[in-house]
Amino acid sequence: MNDSKRLIIKDLKKEFNGFWALKGLNLELSPGEIFVLLGPNGAGKTTTLKLITGLLHPTQGEIFIEGINIKESPIKAKSLIGYVPDEPFIYPKLTGREFINLVASIYRVKKADYEKRSKELFEKFDIGEWIDELSEGYSHGMKQRIIMCQLLLHNPVLILIDEPLVGLDPKTARTVRETFLSLKDQKKTLFISTHTLSFAREVATRLGIINHGELKFTGTLEELAEISGRKNIEEIYLKLTEE
Amino acid sequence: MSEFLLLLNARIISFKSSVKSLNLIRILSFILVFGVFLGGAYYFFFRIFNYLLSVEIIGPVLMNKIIQMVFFIFFIMLLLSNIITSLSTFYNSRELQLLFALPIRPGAIYLAKLFENCVYASWATLIIILPLIFSYGITLRAPFQYYPLAIFSVIIYLIIPGTIATSLIFIIRCLLPKLRSRDVIFILFGLILGLTFFYIRINNPDLLKVFATENQRDLLMFAENLTTVGGIYLPSTWVGYILGTLSQGSARFHFYFLLLLSVTSTFVIIAFYLARFFYTRSWMLVGEYQSRMKKIHSVLYHYYGDAKTFLLKDILVFVREPIQWVQLGIFFILLIIYIFSLRRTPIYFTIPLWRTVVSFANFAYICFILATLGVRFIFPSISLEQYGIWLLRSSPISFARIIKIKYLFNLFVTIILIEGLLFFSNILIKTDPKFYIMLPIAAVLVAASLVSINLGWGAHYPQFNEDNPSRIAAGTGGIIAALVSIGYVGITIVILAIPAYNYLSNTYLKKPLSYPLIILSLAGFLLFNIFTIAGPLYLGIKSFQRRDI
Ligand SMILES: Nc1ncnc2c1ncn2[C@@H]1O[C@H](COP(=O)(O)OP(=O)(O)OP(=O)(O)O)[C@@H](O)[C@H]1O
Ligand SMILES: [Mg+2]
Repeated sequence: MNDSKRLIIKDLKKEFNGFWALKGLNLELSPGEIFVLLGPNGAGKTTTLKLITGLLHPTQGEIFIEGINIKESPIKAKSLIGYVPDEPFIYPKLTGREFINLVASIYRVKKADYEKRSKELFEKFDIGEWIDELSEGYSHGMKQRIIMCQLLLHNPVLILIDEPLVGLDPKTARTVRETFLSLKDQKKTLFISTHTLSFAREVATRLGIINHGELKFTGTLEELAEISGRKNIEEIYLKLTEE
Repeated sequence: MSEFLLLLNARIISFKSSVKSLNLIRILSFILVFGVFLGGAYYFFFRIFNYLLSVEIIGPVLMNKIIQMVFFIFFIMLLLSNIITSLSTFYNSRELQLLFALPIRPGAIYLAKLFENCVYASWATLIIILPLIFSYGITLRAPFQYYPLAIFSVIIYLIIPGTIATSLIFIIRCLLPKLRSRDVIFILFGLILGLTFFYIRINNPDLLKVFATENQRDLLMFAENLTTVGGIYLPSTWVGYILGTLSQGSARFHFYFLLLLSVTSTFVIIAFYLARFFYTRSWMLVGEYQSRMKKIHSVLYHYYGDAKTFLLKDILVFVREPIQWVQLGIFFILLIIYIFSLRRTPIYFTIPLWRTVVSFANFAYICFILATLGVRFIFPSISLEQYGIWLLRSSPISFARIIKIKYLFNLFVTIILIEGLLFFSNILIKTDPKFYIMLPIAAVLVAASLVSINLGWGAHYPQFNEDNPSRIAAGTGGIIAALVSIGYVGITIVILAIPAYNYLSNTYLKKPLSYPLIILSLAGFLLFNIFTIAGPLYLGIKSFQRRDI
């Protein structure tokens, strides 16, 4: 087994009541990569991410994180992951701060780290006094920002994000983008599913195109441009997903 | 009207699809559990009615009075539960945003929601009423048409509290939109309980007095009085008369039936017009005032960095949700009233023999209460994580550990409650300490099992898309949890009755104590509990871990 790989997915399959949402996915990611998964609605992106985080159980196949089989030692593997679902949830009856404290506690973040990082993150994501109000009154973007803070607070090495930009204002979207790039420089690995092609073009070190539960192509933007014979990312995407 | 039917149809379709997703084993276990419960309740009422029929003179009168009392109590309970459920059905439900944006008249929305609300608030009650109706009919050898007509009348009757509760809420929300849900509940509960108390005071149906007297003449007088006690204006009395006249095949049934029908329709019509006038207006006003926020500085403001945080989160979420602690408060008040009512001892409580019997009955009653509390407050606790369960599943904390934290905390609270209740009630009953000693020990096991059953089943049958705990508890999963808990308490009582009976016959009939029997039954009880504590938790954790979310 190759220990220098951060994430290894082998022949991953998922069936929902006779419907194959994922039909044998193979993928390897290294430290310092930003892998962006593109694909039409219902292609299997969310399913893939949920399988890696353990929300779903694979019908077949194996997943290793830093060489740890997630089926054999789930807790150890999960302590390395940070996950943001497509519809971020915060307990409505908790404030943003309380929620962040809860998550950090579950990940056993040390108190000193907590104080240092939370201060930086609150500043970075422009968290206002509203952090001490009940989250049931937050806008979508406010929730997203709280979610980004809790994600980065526990310092995961493998970050999985489903649709990171939905509902963010341009300024926050830019902060998110810059954050992702600096995480890459810190040798973290990011696995992102999105429909925002411009975002994919700007941050991805590698792209994957998934359709009908199959990973059809992977490669850098240049490689995909060559395969498809197109230049513009939108053209590339449309060409490679057409059927 | 057609809009109303359309909305109703949408409900029925979504109900159908949830029924379709059940598999055969689930359906069979539903039928089994419901069958056992309905049969048990039927048998219970049947025994009471049969006994009463055999008591001369006052038996039959008492029987009708009990029916009227039961329907009166249900009326008040339904009024209260309708108030709580309608606050969320009519104001907090997310679907409302959509409904109000659609070209549907508010009156139609009201009728559809009223229907939904009545079903939610009343169907658990109906499960108790059905065996009551059947056992009453069979005891009195009622003609065939008694059954469908009685059930139909009761269903009509159940609509009245819904219309009253919603009308009150619309008016109060329109007049005082700044009031928080908590305060609305407070005001209406105060109003209803106050009026009930006042009403009972005036009419004074002192049912228990009968047990305190042994004089034949007094009994006759009492029976006479009972028939003339007021309440002729109450729908619960009419329902009692309807059942009574129906069971005799008397034509006077038509009068009461038409009375009930016309009064219910009048209530629906009045509520409908009030809704047209007040509902939309109050919905908008409340939305405006609730979007203002305020800063909160709680214990969780600080960072602790350990599992304690998870427990604090559960507690905070609980106290910030009025539905939760208001209902807990009601339970508490009822329990305090119950304990104090033990003080007013009818005469035969003073005989030592009866004291022991009463103490054992009291133990059984407290166990049943805790079973209900468990279903209402412990069963929904996994479901209430809602989509937060994504966070928990994807983070490095095992589900077994989450269950452990929840289990220990709920166990702690339950044990304090059950031991406190036992202690104070037995002081008032003046139980013989030699007998009492068995109860607190058994109670620890009962608490451990009840928490396990509700938590385990709650993990097996979670419902993450519902945020209203009383609805989670009133759903199919909750009803099954209730039936299993009640079944557990039933078996407990049967097993513990063996040593209790042995003790009694030793003290009062001077028969020798049978130690093998006592030890055997207590060992059996322990064994039974090992199974009921470990089993549900184990199955719940396993089934949850296997689940895709
Ligand atoms: N729990 C489930 N039960 C049954 N089918 C499911 C379930 N979850 C997903 N699917 C199906 O699996 C397929 C893949 O869904 P998935 O959510 O992974 O798509 P996606 O690529 O994330 O789409 P989108 O871009 O819309 O978010 C879809 O056809 C979906 O209907
Ligand atoms: Mg998706």
